[in-house]
Amino acid sequence: MNNKNINDTDVIVIGGGVIGTSIAYNLSKRGKKVTLFEKYDHARGASGSSDQLVLMQSKKPGVHLALALESLKMYKTLEEELGEPIHFRQKGGMILIENEKEMEIMKGFVEKQKKTGLDVDIISLDEVNRLQPGISQDIIGATYSPMDGEVDPIALNIALAKGAKANGTKIVLGTEVKEIITEGKKAIGVETSKGKFYASTIINAAGVWAPLLCEKLGIEAPIKPRRGQICITDEVDYFIDMPILSAKYMMAKHNPDLLKDAPEMIAKLGIGLALSQSPKGNIMFGATREFVGYDKNVTYEGIGEVIRNAVTYFPQLKDMSIIRTMGGLRPFTPDGLPLIGWTEIEGFFMAAGHEGDGIALAPVTGKVVADIIMDGKTFVDMSGFAPNRFSK
Amino acid sequence: MCNDKVFVCRCQEVTVEDVKEAIKDGATTVAGVKIRTHAGMGLCQGRSCGKIIARMLSEVESPEKITPGSSRPPARVAKISEFLEVK
Repeated sequence: MNNKNINDTDVIVIGGGVIGTSIAYNLSKRGKKVTLFEKYDHARGASGSSDQLVLMQSKKPGVHLALALESLKMYKTLEEELGEPIHFRQKGGMILIENEKEMEIMKGFVEKQKKTGLDVDIISLDEVNRLQPGISQDIIGATYSPMDGEVDPIALNIALAKGAKANGTKIVLGTEVKEIITEGKKAIGVETSKGKFYASTIINAAGVWAPLLCEKLGIEAPIKPRRGQICITDEVDYFIDMPILSAKYMMAKHNPDLLKDAPEMIAKLGIGLALSQSPKGNIMFGATREFVGYDKNVTYEGIGEVIRNAVTYFPQLKDMSIIRTMGGLRPFTPDGLPLIGWTEIEGFFMAAGHEGDGIALAPVTGKVVADIIMDGKTFVDMSGFAPNRFSK
Repeated sequence: MCNDKVFVCRCQEVTVEDVKEAIKDGATTVAGVKIRTHAGMGLCQGRSCGKIIARMLSEVESPEKITPGSSRPPARVAKISEFLEVK
């Protein structure tokens, strides 16, 4: 049976997480006919197992941070635009510093971030106490940025999907894309568990599963799942006023070698503190950074260490209870930047590999992808995100 | 007796109407209802509402296709201090 043009669509998006739905939303807003395929449901990958941080401070100074700052601007009006609650709030954020060595590293980071336009400073322990009571007095200071924020990532995912649907996007859940159909060096459609569908543009936004589709085409996409384990407490009185990270989180994320002097388990599991409280009162804290393939189960060892680490910064946690733990897979790339752009297969576009930055970068990723596809360019130089940069 | 304002998930105060809305939005699993409504995210972690939601889903999806909600440790609410005692 010839299924060509069966769904009369311009663009096929693979993946229903925050990146895929943001792309579908932005393209459909600009008049494209979009069909989005999702193997399971929204928020089933990294989007649904993330914490709620929209952090500017954790981004690499330079174009990565510049993108995040643009995303932040978009967040401020996104809830109104989508007409759905996403619970975005900009309350600032802190990165706790434990010793002089961490202070040196963070000072260097802050200097570079300022150059990219981030409002961020090193603050004293007194100022930390004023901004957020309850932190261990063993730290020596923190970085603070009033620009950091929080959002409900699952609500964001659902709201973007609804927005895309309202613009005419066809969202097909429970449907696996098995491979990309090509004609010579050109992508012309996808083979799914429900048949073949055709479009002139195919966008791979499948997160940690994105490289599996590339492999079949012979395209190198070095995205690797990096597991994070987090804990969630029951609802408690409002206590945490902003997202809080530790300097070790920054090291685990950007340069795990710097953790080599840290206690053995912290280095082994790549543990860094990321902690925040939801509007309902649940405190979420994490996380590990582990390469264990596609295994997203939590481990007793991982959860134990995450808890021990969090309690050293917030002793009051000892008196609280956890109701749930969660494991998820971040789409890691070797240089910490996502793969966004056209591949060598004509019509086949990559938008995956955001590691732990997918929530912060979701709005701007949708915009950038729509710009590139519709106008051939966008507001920043995206060459650093080129999908083929690793094979050069 | 049944009306749409009855709570399905008491922990998160999710009603029959909310669950119906989630199913209309495309949820076909207990987890799908959970992400759209927060049902099952409270203290009991869906141990009560999970079955009711599965039954409601069976009206639109054949029962053998309805996957149960994900159950994650701890099995019950656990004091953080208890984790610190075990090395």
